[in-house]
Amino acid sequence: MGTLVSLLLLGLMWGGVYLLMAQGLNLIYGVMRVVNLAHGDLIVMGGLIAFSLFHHAGLSPLLALAPVFALLFVLGLLIAAGVLERIEEEGPRGELRTLFATFGLSYLLANTSFLIWGGQFQSIPFLQGALVLGPLTLPEGLAAASAAAFALALLLHLFLERTLTGKTIRAVAQSPLGAAASGIAVRWVRVFTFALGTALAGAAGALVICLVPFQSASGPDLTVQSFTLVALGGLGNMLGAWLAAELLGLIEVFAQYTLGPDAATAAFYLLFILFLIVRPQGLLGQAGRV
Amino acid sequence: MRRAGVASFSLSPFLQAGAAGTLAAVAAALALAANDYVAGLVFSTAVNVLLALGWNLIGGMAGAVSFGQVAFFGLGAYFTALLVVQAGLPLAPAILLAALGAGLAAWPLGLLMLRLSGIFFALGMLGLARVLALLANALDLTGGPMGMTVPAALSAAAPAFVAIGAALGAFLLILALLESRFGLRLRAVADDPASASAIGVAPSSTRTLAFVLAALFAGAAGGLYVAHVGYIDPASSFAGTIELQTVLMVLAGGIGTLWGPVVGGIVISLLSTFLWARFPTEEQIILGALIIALALRLPDGLLGGRKHPRFRPPLLRGAVEGVAGAAAHAASRGERAGAVLAAEGLSRRFGGLAAVTEVAFEVRAGEILAIIGPNGAGKTTLFNLLTAHLAPSAGTIRLNGAALARLPPPHRLARAGIARTFQTSRLFPSLTVWETLLLAALTRHRHWAEAEARAGAILAALDLVSVANQYPETLTPGQARLVEIGRALALEPAVLLLDEAMAGMNEAEIARLQRVLRELAAAGMAILAIEHVIAAIAPLAARILVLDQGRVLTSGPPETVLEDPRVIDAYLGPERLDVAA
Repeated sequence: MGTLVSLLLLGLMWGGVYLLMAQGLNLIYGVMRVVNLAHGDLIVMGGLIAFSLFHHAGLSPLLALAPVFALLFVLGLLIAAGVLERIEEEGPRGELRTLFATFGLSYLLANTSFLIWGGQFQSIPFLQGALVLGPLTLPEGLAAASAAAFALALLLHLFLERTLTGKTIRAVAQSPLGAAASGIAVRWVRVFTFALGTALAGAAGALVICLVPFQSASGPDLTVQSFTLVALGGLGNMLGAWLAAELLGLIEVFAQYTLGPDAATAAFYLLFILFLIVRPQGLLGQAGRV
Repeated sequence: MRRAGVASFSLSPFLQAGAAGTLAAVAAALALAANDYVAGLVFSTAVNVLLALGWNLIGGMAGAVSFGQVAFFGLGAYFTALLVVQAGLPLAPAILLAALGAGLAAWPLGLLMLRLSGIFFALGMLGLARVLALLANALDLTGGPMGMTVPAALSAAAPAFVAIGAALGAFLLILALLESRFGLRLRAVADDPASASAIGVAPSSTRTLAFVLAALFAGAAGGLYVAHVGYIDPASSFAGTIELQTVLMVLAGGIGTLWGPVVGGIVISLLSTFLWARFPTEEQIILGALIIALALRLPDGLLGGRKHPRFRPPLLRGAVEGVAGAAAHAASRGERAGAVLAAEGLSRRFGGLAAVTEVAFEVRAGEILAIIGPNGAGKTTLFNLLTAHLAPSAGTIRLNGAALARLPPPHRLARAGIARTFQTSRLFPSLTVWETLLLAALTRHRHWAEAEARAGAILAALDLVSVANQYPETLTPGQARLVEIGRALALEPAVLLLDEAMAGMNEAEIARLQRVLRELAAAGMAILAIEHVIAAIAPLAARILVLDQGRVLTSGPPETVLEDPRVIDAYLGPERLDVAA
């Protein structure tokens, strides 16, 4: 009974981390209408930067969130303004070009990480103690990371809902043409949004690397995990994304516990494929374009 | 009809096959004459071309981009290793069986995975490759993470010959497919699955066949790879690097083109061999950057961006049969006595909105029934219900007296005799006018010559001969409408559904269409026409049905319906009556 409740709580906490992982992807998809296939590699990069900051400067990963966020924001600006916004999308298969560019970007980033940090698994030993709540013991690190992830997710939500910049982003996501007609500089909103999504991916990475070790090649797995969540929860739907994140957190934790890590990864992919076969348009019936 | 223009130049299929054969012979001679290093290079280039041909078939030609074709490379590699190690087969038959095995596995997988669309399919395939890699990692049979050693081929030249042969075979097979009716179907499905199903082409089975062949090629490549390196493990057999290189080769050569994977395969193989020798650690960074550079600077690849008509109308022999001929064939499919198409109590709700409520009508052979109504009256929803693009919430539809299933696949309905046009023209961007009509005619006629005759008659009747070899983007809106109507007519339907066919037409085109519709009706075709241009359709229509807010307001002969105050009301609002009074 104690184990079951522990696993349940673990799963719910993991949900927060997943939510943060997926939010950047969701945001970018909403505005640019392209799945950023380098998303996982950006998470990895954020995590590895936090890893270096911890090892060389002794910076706690929670404090490292700020510099990682800033660095990845700049990287995102460069990628969006330098590459993605310059791709001509007119003509047959035009919309595929941006997708392929992010496919290339994924390899570019992953192998750059490999050059800098090598191929071994890295992790940050952060808050390794246990949180004792009556009969339950929970890992402190996960509790802290989960709390930080939920806080960031909430901040993003408030930013999108309450601020003018946030509203501008939502306007562009809903109708680029309408936004442009209202005097919004759509191109810059797209660049800013991509940078924001990239920064969020980096922040997620800084938290995830405290919980599970990863290596420079872990990117694609993280991309698919994030995408699964977005697909399950429905694009742009905060509540849906959160529920999906909790669901996947629970599945991951229980599969890890009963089947082991490899089977848990396989379970994730199988669930993704099976779910979409039952509901090819995703939970909310919005088909994704390539 | 004349063969239009000499401006668009393209090689005949025989010349293309000859060119491919020559290229293969040169590669084989190179592998034989030079040292083992060069033979190895020829080998890996041929394997890469094979992989690229497979990826391009599903990702380019069938329009289903996949990021997990390496799944079938890995399957082919493991099948080969198991057949050699466990069953003691020699390499050559093992590779052949493994490729067939990968193709066979792809059949159910394709039926399943191709239910996903767009990005979901692309990433679903990535997931499939990961699951297979994890499986190979976990099983004892496959040697787990350590893999297996396999007795490799002794010389470098022998596998090179086999690889060249396999790549040439794959190329010729794709060439033959493009020259067949399957090629036309594939191009239509890649362009617009919904539009393809409206002319009787089943998107899923068309794509599944492409998927199976693509897997067969990838499986053969995997088998050849094992024969060459003599070793197999999950990390290298399902490596993302292979997917990266394959996508890069196709993009560099030109996605969706016949020669793109060959040219891209050769260029990128040589480049990556060079990079691997000079910059082993940076190789993948450079390849990744190259994809980005292609997307920015050369998005259509080295060979892409130009379209060549693959099929052209034959020289006209004898008199044109005329559109009436096509209609006469079609009319034989309609019930002479009763209603050809009838609806009873047809309703459709979208959440709280009742788009169509209890609509009933029937249309007989030789009759034109016009459907009019203000914007939002439910006209297009009614058409979508009649053509199974939407499921009705209630009601029945009868074709020649027999009730239709609740939601039959649209392509089956099109074959059963209900043909439609779309409100906004939906032609296939990569098919010429002639190819579009031919494709539709081929769903009715097994024999190529019959289909050509039928398509030719429609081409002449609709005054489209001069644009036969043009692509939709070069047509006027009115011509595009006529092509879409021609496409529907080529199905020889029992009933023709026109959704605002006259919108965007000039006066001459409207007159031409009116004449054609009269001929079709006289020959016995049942026609249902949604129209805004009431003045243009009223003289043709035997009856008019007025929809307002999803319900039938009234129906009857044009002269009574158009005088009905309720109809005037629905169109112009009650104020007009006040003013008139």
